[in-house]
Amino acid sequence: MISDHAQRSRRSGRFLRFALLAMAMAVIFVVDTAMNYEVAAAVFYAVVILMAARGSSRHALVALTGLCVAVTFLSFSLTPQGNFRTGLINMGISITVILMTTWLVLKMQTATAAANDAQARLMRIARVTSLEGLTTSIAHEVNQPLAAIVASGNAGQRWLAQDPPNIGKASQALERILGDAGRASAIIARVRGLTKGEPPHRSEFDVNQALLEVVASSQGEIDRRDILLSTELGAGLPLAMADRVQTQQVIGNVLLNAIESVASSGKPVRRIRITSELDDGRIVLSMFDTGVGLPQAAGEQLFEAFWTTKENGIGVGLSISRTLVEANGGQIWAEPLAEGGAVFRFSIPTAVQAETRDD
Amino acid sequence: MTERTKQPAEPVVYVIDDDSSVRAALEDLLESVGLRVRTFGSPGEFLGSPGDDAPGCMVLDVRMPGRSGMDFHRQLEGLGIRLPVVFITGHGDIPMGVAAMKNGAVDFLAKPFRDQDLLDAIQCGIRKDVARRAEESATAELQARWDSLSPGEQDVARLVVDGWLNKQIAARLNLSEITVKVRRGHVMRKLQARSLADLVRLTGRLGIGAPGGPSAGSP
Repeated sequence: MISDHAQRSRRSGRFLRFALLAMAMAVIFVVDTAMNYEVAAAVFYAVVILMAARGSSRHALVALTGLCVAVTFLSFSLTPQGNFRTGLINMGISITVILMTTWLVLKMQTATAAANDAQARLMRIARVTSLEGLTTSIAHEVNQPLAAIVASGNAGQRWLAQDPPNIGKASQALERILGDAGRASAIIARVRGLTKGEPPHRSEFDVNQALLEVVASSQGEIDRRDILLSTELGAGLPLAMADRVQTQQVIGNVLLNAIESVASSGKPVRRIRITSELDDGRIVLSMFDTGVGLPQAAGEQLFEAFWTTKENGIGVGLSISRTLVEANGGQIWAEPLAEGGAVFRFSIPTAVQAETRDD
Repeated sequence: MTERTKQPAEPVVYVIDDDSSVRAALEDLLESVGLRVRTFGSPGEFLGSPGDDAPGCMVLDVRMPGRSGMDFHRQLEGLGIRLPVVFITGHGDIPMGVAAMKNGAVDFLAKPFRDQDLLDAIQCGIRKDVARRAEESATAELQARWDSLSPGEQDVARLVVDGWLNKQIAARLNLSEITVKVRRGHVMRKLQARSLADLVRLTGRLGIGAPGGPSAGSP
């Protein structure tokens, strides 16, 4: 009900805005056409663009700008009187103002989006740091039924060891054990639900761009650890269809792992190489490092929660990464490298792939 | 709950834990070794129920909604409850355990614990409580004996304990030396003191014997 109402009011608000824009454009058009060449009313199309800036997509803004320019031309050709040369110069100025306004608005939108992304990322990081508190309360929650199970088991043993054995009491103890075991698994299911988080917000985006942003934000760490980082990004990759922030989070996790692995290896060659390529209709990102490599027989465990080879790690980075990658319809895997170090790869569905799959 | 019975009372274990299944399991476990158990969901529930006149031990959960077990433990003394406490906790860490032990807890067990550890701790707690109660009842009996003395006998007893001689006591209390001797005999008999040293020890337990004997000041 409420959301329905909100949607309707949002829709009517959008319609109102659209009507207002159209009216403003019409007024400017009429004034611009009716007045002499010397009056550059077309400059005010910039106001229309500024009005439309909030809540419009880039495509819509570009289209609107095109329309404004076209209409300016039309007004110019329809204007009956005045100095033609002045009119031409005025038109030039108007169009320049319109184009510059659009350019500035687009730049501003990008900056705002980046800021929003960064904030979302920070919030997710904060959620991971609260993990320690979370594990404490999980431990407490799960230890309650465990304690009850152990105590009931001991009691049951003692009832049975009596002479004659107290079967009634023992079977009561068993019943309690079953109940508490059920409770423990319910707690675990609840915790899983808690940490599953929101579903990914999928959108089309340029993977290489997203990757370079993460690399840029980790550059300080990379330089500090004296690591040489190179990228070989595939040209002309299709757009990815996934949650951009989550994808960046995975890239960041894997990159951080690579950095720590290289930093702790103590080898003279300290390199990380990142590649992106199209493989079988999906985009695959690979991160090669010259770090400590993978422990033998690590296999699937690598991506399991609370499994870590790091001294100070809690072993959730790769587990979270796998969860995120799979939620976005991709896969993550790791291979040891013959020359030492390891490569971590993960795949991201492309926009094309997502469409064909949805059909 | 139970009427006070004058026969040597069976020890009672009080389990305070907010988790009902832990309570049920512990109750059963302790009953299976023949202990009397009473369970409570919160410290408030425990305080709201009449106490037993029996030695006992408290098994207290650390983390409970409202008043935490640790806070409750610190308040026990003020509430006049001197039951030994065994802590159980779902998320124990070392500082917490140290704090509990410093505050006089018998033991600090992390859930899930071995039943024998809990039973040992409880037995240790009960032994402590039995000893404390014996000590307390001996003191109470002694107090009753002291109260059975007449005021005049008490005055003489205080001065004797403070180290005055019969003659001096007679002078201070304005009595004849014979009277002092008679009262002194009553004191020894009623308090069941075998010697002067015994009398000093017994009155010391009652906190009697004011400073200010002949060595401390002039008569």
